[in-house]
Amino acid sequence: MSLPTLRRGSQLHETERRLNAVLNNASVAIFLMDDRQHCVYMNRAAELLTGFSVGEVLARDCPLHDIVHHTYPDGRPFPLEECAIDRAFPENNQERGEEVFVHKDGHFYPVGFTASPIRDDAAKIIGTIIEVRDITEEKAAAERQKLLTNELNHRVKNTLATVQSIATQTFRNVADQPARAVFDARVTALSNAHNVLTESNWESASLVGVVERAIAPHAVAETDGTRFRITGPDTRLHPKVAVTLAMALHELMTNAAKYGALSVPEGRVAVTWTLTSDGSRDHLSLTWTETGGPDVVPPARKGFGSRLIERQLPLEFDGRAVLDLAPAGLVCRLDIPLTALGWHGQDIVTGRSAS
Amino acid sequence: MSILEGRRVLLVEDESLVAMLVEDMLLDLSCEVVVAMRLDQALRQLQAGDFDVAVLDVNLGETRSYPVADQLFERCIPFLFATGYGSAGLEPAYRTVPVMQKPYQKDQLEAQLRHLLTCEPVSRGSDSGTRVFTCGCALNSKDSGVAQIRAD
Repeated sequence: MSLPTLRRGSQLHETERRLNAVLNNASVAIFLMDDRQHCVYMNRAAELLTGFSVGEVLARDCPLHDIVHHTYPDGRPFPLEECAIDRAFPENNQERGEEVFVHKDGHFYPVGFTASPIRDDAAKIIGTIIEVRDITEEKAAAERQKLLTNELNHRVKNTLATVQSIATQTFRNVADQPARAVFDARVTALSNAHNVLTESNWESASLVGVVERAIAPHAVAETDGTRFRITGPDTRLHPKVAVTLAMALHELMTNAAKYGALSVPEGRVAVTWTLTSDGSRDHLSLTWTETGGPDVVPPARKGFGSRLIERQLPLEFDGRAVLDLAPAGLVCRLDIPLTALGWHGQDIVTGRSAS
Repeated sequence: MSILEGRRVLLVEDESLVAMLVEDMLLDLSCEVVVAMRLDQALRQLQAGDFDVAVLDVNLGETRSYPVADQLFERCIPFLFATGYGSAGLEPAYRTVPVMQKPYQKDQLEAQLRHLLTCEPVSRGSDSGTRVFTCGCALNSKDSGVAQIRAD
């Protein structure tokens, strides 16, 4: 043997040693498949994952699918032709997904896989390399998350219903029944705002959804579809913005029904808004306009609604709110910055020792 | 005349409806109330004016009111935290600060504010007996350094 050949031999040996070190220390299971879908190599993680040793798999001399993926979790047989992992070979591209494997001891376990075709020098596909990860923990975590969210939704609704019931029991013999009705409507508005949040796992709420829900209790009783005009692009609102905006709209709606445009058949309400961006943050500019109602008479005393809209809303979101009691009809203009899904208190002061 | 009458209170609370409730309670106690709903507003209000006492909601959206607490410590303005989680929910450095369990109750608020202003012991009702706060802002300060006394 010539010296160069010997050197090449030792280089090959060194490369193989390194590759084995990489493969056997990888935490992801790696399978190498030939063109008949037989496994010709698997690393240590693959042995741990499946429960089978390399020797056992090679001795079976059958497609890997028939060893680790032969049965659906419901007990039906799982033929190779239906296997997505197998498709990476005939369809000639990388395939990713989730499947459920069967362990040597018979138990099922969920896995995430990536199957990639391997080519020879002539670009002909000669096999598949499959990476597989046990995703039991992730699946369980997602399941727990879902349970918690469901529980949260359930509790919020129940707590609001309980508050309503407590109020009913407490004020049963109190003469002021109109106040009770106002209270019930407010709690319902709050509950509806939470419904919008529930639908998106409490992450954000659709602006259109918030507006529509706030108007719904009044809109359903209307036969005249032209009484409400809602125009504006949809966006996602931070939960806090969604709830406060819903309450503000509820107050406007209640006022309109009692004293404003909705107290007479020919009155109209328009809710229109635009979204503008000045680069760093989006602004929601929303206008509530009443027309065709009776002449507006400013109330003797500011109530809950105007306090919420004129004072709290700007304070909570660093925005602006104007309630214009014009004789022709009430106009309310809201300008709310929407940075970071609406809540941006955190980006202004982050230091613990602000001077 | 109540000791609370005419006292300037900084109220930091980030829920609109809850802020309105507590503001009304404080007004009923004849206090003068300044409401801040965001951390930056609270710090601005503190810089702009003087306060006799403060009520801090711990969670303000995604941030906490601790920077406000630090300023209050520094200026020796007595304050309490309001939180739904009790003192266990506070960062360890702030555990000596009196905590009012949410939801807010007027009697409890009144008693705690009275205590903060007079250092009289506060009875915690049905809790395990009576708890006496060791208060006085210098003692409560998380910094063991010199507590500054205001000149006014």
